[in-house]
Amino acid sequence: MESDKNKFSGGRKYSNKEITVYWKPDACVHASYCYRELIEVFDPGRRPWVDLNGAVTDRIIEVVNMCPTEALTWKWNDESKNGNVSIDQTNHINFRRPELVGQKEPEIADNPVTVKIMTDGPVVIKGDFRFKYSNNDKEMKDGIISLCRCGQSGHQPFCDGTHRKIGFEDI
Amino acid sequence: MENNDNKSKGVIIEVIDDGPLKITGNFILKDLKRDLTDTPEEVYICRCGRSSNMPYCDDSHKK
Repeated sequence: MESDKNKFSGGRKYSNKEITVYWKPDACVHASYCYRELIEVFDPGRRPWVDLNGAVTDRIIEVVNMCPTEALTWKWNDESKNGNVSIDQTNHINFRRPELVGQKEPEIADNPVTVKIMTDGPVVIKGDFRFKYSNNDKEMKDGIISLCRCGQSGHQPFCDGTHRKIGFEDI
Repeated sequence: MENNDNKSKGVIIEVIDDGPLKITGNFILKDLKRDLTDTPEEVYICRCGRSSNMPYCDDSHKK
């Protein structure tokens, strides 16, 4: 059983001495990066499923940044370090969950559009952007789309998981 | 906060029929396998699965 101290609105949070990782289950699209990359920390078969003692902080940050959504985000426990986080730290709460940042506005107020190439899988695009395909032209607001890169999806241009069946591999 | 009415900073994601994915504007490209983080202004992502310059299009889809 997880203790209530880990709860916060919308999910749970986990800390080591340096960072806090937030988990927002509603946002998960099961890209599976977290446990494929770092089962020692992110183990869906364990309770609690997140154990920040399983790896060094740099590696945990690296894997949290791989999450294509805001299901996993992180921040430094030393608040003074959260002010000027570089833009390549894609899953820092400044960029993904500004509501957690508190009253302070992040340095970069805009939500940058991120384009993530998922290894052997789709390309996941998140943020505010214009999306044109076939005869569609949509304004996406805080949107997320997952597009096929293997060429074999039956639901083009979107990913339908076929890449796994055909063993698509990035060269 | 109130000034969020900018015209979405102009990122355009365009699926080109029988071709690559064209992305233009102000965005961050992250490629996990190649340890690549880039902020290009225009990029063409392969959609056919056959490029030899992944993740970019190299016109292999025309062959």
